[in-house]
Amino acid sequence: MKRRSIIAATAVGAMSALLISACSSSTSSSGSSTTPTTGAVAFNAGISSVVNPSSTKGGTLTFDVRGTPDSFDPGNTYYAWVLDFDHLFTMPLFGYKSCPGSCGLQLVPDLATDMGTTSDNGLTWTFHIQPDVKFENGTVVNSQDVKYAIERTYDRSVMANGPTYYQALLTDPTYPGPYKDRSKNLMGLTAVDTPNATTLVFHLQAPFPDLPYVLAFPNTAPVLPSADTGSNYQLHPLSTGPYMFKSYTLNKQLVMVDNPNWNPATDPNAKQLATQIIVNMNVNQADIDNNLIAGNADIDAYGAGVGPAAQARILGSSSLKANADNPVNGFARFVYINTKVAPLTNLHCREAVEYAANKTTMQTSWGGPVAGGAIASTIMPPVIIGYKSFDYYNALTQPAGDVTAAKQQLAMCGQPNGFTTNMAYRDDNPQETAEATALQASLGAVGIKLTLKGFPSGPYYTNFAGDPAYVHAHDIGLAGGGWGADWPDGYGFLDELLNGNAIAATGNTNISEINDPVINNLFTESSKLTGDARTAIWSQIDEQAMKDAVILPAVYQKTLLYRNAATTNVYVQAYYGMYNYAVMGVSS
Amino acid sequence: MIYFIIRRLIMTVFLLLLVSMITFAIFFLVPRLAGQTAYQLAAQYVGRNPIPSEIKAVEVKLGLNAPLYLQYGRYIKGIVAGIHYNNGTDISYCPFPCFGYSFRNQQPVWPQLISDAPVTLSIAVGAAVLWLIGGVSIGVLSALRRGSFFDRLSMGVALAGVSLPVFFTGLIALELFSYHWPIFPNVHYVPITENPLLWARNLILPWVTLAFLYAALYARLTRAGMLETMGEDYIRTARAKGLAERKVVVKHGLRAALTPIVTIFGLDLGLLLGGAILTETTFSFPGLGQFTILAIQNQDLPEIMGVVMIASFFIVIANMIVDILYAVVDPRVRF
Amino acid sequence: MAPLLEVSDLRIHFQTDDGLVRAVDGVSFVLERGRTLGIVGESGSGKSVSSMGIMGLHEGTKARITGEIRLDGEELVNASPARVRELRGSKMAMIFQDPLSSLHPYYTVGHQIIEAYRVHNKVSKKVARKHAIDLLGRVGIPTPETRVDDYAHQFSGGMRQRAMIAMALSCDPELLIADEPTTALDVTVQAQILDLISDLQSELGSAVIIITHDLGVVAELSDDILVMYAGRVAEYGSAADIFGRPDHPYTWGLLSSMPRLDQDRTTRLVPIPGTPPSLIRVPSGCPFHPRCRYTELVGGRRCETEVPPLREAVTPGHTAACHLTADQRTRQWAELPASRLADDAQAPEAKDPEAREPV
Repeated sequence: MKRRSIIAATAVGAMSALLISACSSSTSSSGSSTTPTTGAVAFNAGISSVVNPSSTKGGTLTFDVRGTPDSFDPGNTYYAWVLDFDHLFTMPLFGYKSCPGSCGLQLVPDLATDMGTTSDNGLTWTFHIQPDVKFENGTVVNSQDVKYAIERTYDRSVMANGPTYYQALLTDPTYPGPYKDRSKNLMGLTAVDTPNATTLVFHLQAPFPDLPYVLAFPNTAPVLPSADTGSNYQLHPLSTGPYMFKSYTLNKQLVMVDNPNWNPATDPNAKQLATQIIVNMNVNQADIDNNLIAGNADIDAYGAGVGPAAQARILGSSSLKANADNPVNGFARFVYINTKVAPLTNLHCREAVEYAANKTTMQTSWGGPVAGGAIASTIMPPVIIGYKSFDYYNALTQPAGDVTAAKQQLAMCGQPNGFTTNMAYRDDNPQETAEATALQASLGAVGIKLTLKGFPSGPYYTNFAGDPAYVHAHDIGLAGGGWGADWPDGYGFLDELLNGNAIAATGNTNISEINDPVINNLFTESSKLTGDARTAIWSQIDEQAMKDAVILPAVYQKTLLYRNAATTNVYVQAYYGMYNYAVMGVSS
Repeated sequence: MIYFIIRRLIMTVFLLLLVSMITFAIFFLVPRLAGQTAYQLAAQYVGRNPIPSEIKAVEVKLGLNAPLYLQYGRYIKGIVAGIHYNNGTDISYCPFPCFGYSFRNQQPVWPQLISDAPVTLSIAVGAAVLWLIGGVSIGVLSALRRGSFFDRLSMGVALAGVSLPVFFTGLIALELFSYHWPIFPNVHYVPITENPLLWARNLILPWVTLAFLYAALYARLTRAGMLETMGEDYIRTARAKGLAERKVVVKHGLRAALTPIVTIFGLDLGLLLGGAILTETTFSFPGLGQFTILAIQNQDLPEIMGVVMIASFFIVIANMIVDILYAVVDPRVRF
Repeated sequence: MAPLLEVSDLRIHFQTDDGLVRAVDGVSFVLERGRTLGIVGESGSGKSVSSMGIMGLHEGTKARITGEIRLDGEELVNASPARVRELRGSKMAMIFQDPLSSLHPYYTVGHQIIEAYRVHNKVSKKVARKHAIDLLGRVGIPTPETRVDDYAHQFSGGMRQRAMIAMALSCDPELLIADEPTTALDVTVQAQILDLISDLQSELGSAVIIITHDLGVVAELSDDILVMYAGRVAEYGSAADIFGRPDHPYTWGLLSSMPRLDQDRTTRLVPIPGTPPSLIRVPSGCPFHPRCRYTELVGGRRCETEVPPLREAVTPGHTAACHLTADQRTRQWAELPASRLADDAQAPEAKDPEAREPV
């Protein structure tokens, strides 16, 4: 009897040992660890300083993300977090300097050697690339690989997701892409020349001083033509960055390991610290937040902040709060006021809307001052180069709205008792829904009756709010929206929103349909200027647009990010509004 | 019996065809009737700030500009015979059964369904075993001890189980047993081929959550069924023959009470195999259920069609099996 | 030799939310081997409950059983349930009213007979199957070797009851209780079943209790008759006595309300007024008194207050529970039209020896 029980106990013990070991974390750390210096761990420390600075190598860095990337093919992506993440395995021509604070808004060369030179009155740009950068398979990168990378984005039937600047800016806009045009050894794009292995020459339709910003997208990261597999390239893009793909199960998990052919001297804005990177996809937000806090995951790759439940928990606990950062993420939330829908065709009716709106309730609907952001009075948020603060409608001084001024404006536009109009918003976005309801209430107080019309997010910009024909047919005077710049200067932020020639029949971004010659001229002028003179233009455009009352600003959006205490070199990269993924490591 | 099966299999094929037609109509035809053009439809599958030529290219690529019956025909042909797909650099062949390519990431849908199916199978079958055994046992005991404290307690808990939604129980379970007391830390799916112990360990919470709901239902059903059968005359006869009470309960009572349970079980399992949507989403398990949600959110039509077809297949087959089983179990219902 | 079955003062009460149900309240009788006892009464008189009590089928319910039941000298009320279960199906067997609901629909008839046999006999399935086929043949089912694999719903009503009888007899019981065996059957089939029971009884020498509300059935088969009312014995005696010289107003009522072939068509049937009493609130005194015409003949309202004891009146071995004197009863009975018919029908009918085709 005794013997049997001993055997049984051993069996049970062995089982539990197996179970326990099977689920222990796989983090292991090798190599000497440097004692971290005072990258002090405190609330918001990651906005202006590097938290947990370290050069310790080893370990697995685990990313959890909700949803999936639009594509890991660097030529076919537009998601903010993927643009950040791509720096782990790509070297585009340009990038943003890896440093915290406004330092991180600086554009610096990455694969390129310098900021490039213009000639021909700005119609030609010449760039040089570093001569000794290699793909993961050891092949040396040359200029034709960069040209090929740009070329393949022209075939929108294969690469449908990424930015579309090249067709608009470069000569040869009808180039069909290398999959259809096999001429000249797949180098058929006449807009880009490759005179030698390290030089690229771009030919523009019109001068465009922001070209280097456009070249900071991952679609300039070199692609070896022989390794291109079209729509399957996303499964294993050939890496030029510190890590390379090891295995990728679509929609589930990506595993990356160190790229032995990456030379840190060529890529000072990235680091190769972890020995393995894991990205878990389609994890729901609540799980991600709990995993971060429990230490099962290191980073929430999506970078839009923790969910409401975790927010409350983090802000309520001083120990958890010390691991959190509340940066401005570069996004502005606002409401478009359509200049073509009566009676908002009249400036004063639009101004009435600006005065009457209760900015505080709008801020609350976005999550309050911490999770939502600061009340906005301008279109450009503070992180944009060229931002200047002004407040024409007392948004900052009377955030609950200025009813008197609103009523005055209503009288001036001939609608003393108010008017009715429709407001479009995305009804699967809870914050935007709350904002619409709040606005309905505050405008209703002065007699402006809003009928709310909800739409799904997917086709919102293509079929509804961004379709002027639909907007006019359904009298949609106001539309909820938000905007993040493709690059952090005023052009990147304002052009699509306010330029008269940006109005499109579908996927329209100038939803206010403003076509103010003053603004249009300022945009045209900006292409002729450089430096501070150019920067000064942006705030002028902003002010004019606000005078035209075409946009009702709500908040400069903030997010609440959480750092896993085990991660090293954590800081907010200002351009992305989320942590810089390319420099992070993990300590034991 | 053989003819019955053959007839049903033929009907299954027709039913699946019908389902595919209806689904196709819902996602492709109805928007068209509402005025959406192929161009507008294609605009959903491009990135931000699209240019018109881009949308047109996508429209052509996805075949959205073709007449609907042609699109449908192409889709069915793909399932039956496979199709060729131009991914840019070359033409790849997607063999039978080809459920098309995702509009979003241009990857074939069938391999994704295949890789997701084991997850759903793990959850569904494991939970099914649990709830069948648990629910039926509790139901039998409650029926036998009708009116006792055990009966009242178990039926009360069953009421809770039936009333509480899966995502609620799941979230509570996670909160308590994963985050608060880390008995099951870091619940995520581990394939059984990778680590059977970890696979089972991580599945315990989803199993229990899902089984809780169904066990409650089955306990109530079994109890009701048992109360009915135990009052039948043939039970009295069985006792009159001198059979041991346990044999009377199980062989005579439970056997008869189980008939509706078996049929419902088949239907429930069939439905679940198509995707335990709430459970998978709550626990972030990459199964067919989560696939369904994401496909719908992304309006990815081939993925939606694929998962609907698979789910329908399971349900229809489950129905057929249940009908056959019913005839096997109850001799009064034979052909 | 001791009688096969001796029941003494059997009481079976059920405690319910509405009160104490006195389903059987002091029933005594004796049954010798080879004899047939007919228990007669309306629904709710306690006949089925008492026979289920004999079989021990109240085990596990809320029944409270007192009294004595001696089967071949062995007392059963206080015996262990396991012992009673041993006897159930082997020494004493029971068949029930509706064979369609009393046979399990999911198992073949053969399977159920085999089951009944193997509970009490350690034999192989093959042997048991052969036995089952034999039994089915014995009860008059044609081609029993094929029918043994049929289900209950594949038999006709009469065949089903035969199969049930076969199952009950599988272990050669010494006591067979038949609870309303013909009530669910057509009249023509009824006769066949009763014949069968009678034949098997003479063949096997078992004692039979036949429970019914149908006096015609009882007249065919029984040697003795027990008339029950409200859980108690109203009258007990031989069939000849009960039919020839009934000694209780209730029995008179039963006989008067029964239509007869040899009756003048214009004679009115005289039903018993009123309804059977509640077994929770049994009438005080004589339970029949609310429906009895003759209570006034008994002085001092004794029928309402005093429970009449079961005692012999005229013939030995023939007891009745009534306050009327023997003379009063003789006189009253003579005045009833049914008495004339009873005189004619003193001798029970001879059994028809023709073997009719079973239905």
